Amino acid sequence: MSRFIWLHEDCLRATHPVFAHAPQARAVFIWDDAYMDAMHYGLKRRVFIYETLCYLPVEIYAGDTIDTWRALQNMAGASDIITGKTPNPALKAIMQTLREGLQITTIADAPFVHLDAAKDDAGQLRRFFKYWNKAKKNAFLYDGRP
Amino acid sequence: MSHGEIIAPTGFHARPRYLRHMEKQPTQFADRAALVAHVKALSPLAGDDGVSDTRGGRAAAERLLAAIDPTAYGHSRNYLDGAVTRLSPYIRHAIVNLNEVRNRALEMGDGKALEKFIQELGWRDFWQRIYAQNPDWIWRDIEAYKTGFAPDDYADTLPPDIAAGETESAAMNHFIATLKTTGYLHNHARMYLAAYIVHWRRVTWQAGARFFLAHLLDGDPASNNLSFQWVASTFANKPYFFNLENLQKFAGMDAPCDYHTNKCFGGSYDDLAVKLFPHMEAL
Repeated sequence: MSRFIWLHEDCLRATHPVFAHAPQARAVFIWDDAYMDAMHYGLKRRVFIYETLCYLPVEIYAGDTIDTWRALQNMAGASDIITGKTPNPALKAIMQTLREGLQITTIADAPFVHLDAAKDDAGQLRRFFKYWNKAKKNAFLYDGRP
Repeated sequence: MSHGEIIAPTGFHARPRYLRHMEKQPTQFADRAALVAHVKALSPLAGDDGVSDTRGGRAAAERLLAAIDPTAYGHSRNYLDGAVTRLSPYIRHAIVNLNEVRNRALEMGDGKALEKFIQELGWRDFWQRIYAQNPDWIWRDIEAYKTGFAPDDYADTLPPDIAAGETESAAMNHFIATLKTTGYLHNHARMYLAAYIVHWRRVTWQAGARFFLAHLLDGDPASNNLSFQWVASTFANKPYFFNLENLQKFAGMDAPCDYHTNKCFGGSYDDLAVKLFPHMEAL
């Protein structure tokens, strides 16, 4: 049974907290062409992402993301996957499917600002200046917090 | 591996290798052309519309981060030759994050001089929070158009002359060529081109958003699509549009903005509103 890091397109940095959370784990990026088609990515973006991967401590496999993780589960004993938190519903749906048989833990990147969740009007955010009037209190502070 | 040093992989030759399941893909190449060839083989349907000179990787991001000038940005960011950072593709994929960029800016000045710079980072944070809270807003009209038109009045597909950069406007053609060649457009140029697509050509913002996502290195479902909705007025109280005088002021140093090759933008805002939005009550 092994712990892996799943490096997806929203966490392409060696200093992303996923690495600190699982320092001994193998990191994997899955080159999922169908996913990138669905994201409307052209060749320029794909080259940019691949070039970025070449500078990261990551193994790249090509294939469907779910199938590839199932294969890593069967062939390499993957059981526990640490990955970056993302707002992308397509990635979230993949994670939800993978939870059938795999433990998935999402790790958030360092936030831009720390907002008081109780006063964040969760679900109510709509116009920028309503957000900014709260965010600016910490946005000009190192690490976005007092 | 040091930045810029890409070494040839052993046995990197036969195309069918790429298709073998569970084979590790190479991360070292003889040169960038070999890397590009490999990506094309992995993604045969991604098109062949060229590759940007903008390099991937953290080292490239760190060079840009070291060179930011937040104070000059605050004064000049709306001009197409302004002191923008070009960090957006790296921020998009978390190669560098907003926290790092803000902290770097704080090392360079006081709060007042940094105000616009840090507020623009806030826009990225805002869009991401909206995306997390309302993922279904990304591809559907959040609100009705405030243009006097119904959604069905807009074409669902991008006209070929826009895709080819062969429109009636030399400035828009310049922006389209820049987008397709570099994978980048200055934010103000994005607003001009988005407004042209949606309001002058009456094309859905979704068609414009797909076109941008296909070419922008930093194209993000939230930042891109919600900005398009802001321009279209489906996520704003009124449509965004511009006239030739505004275009010449902010883009004249970068794009051909003379009247004779950009006649469609001529006139006052009131004149253009009547022309573009004939069914809309006064703005």
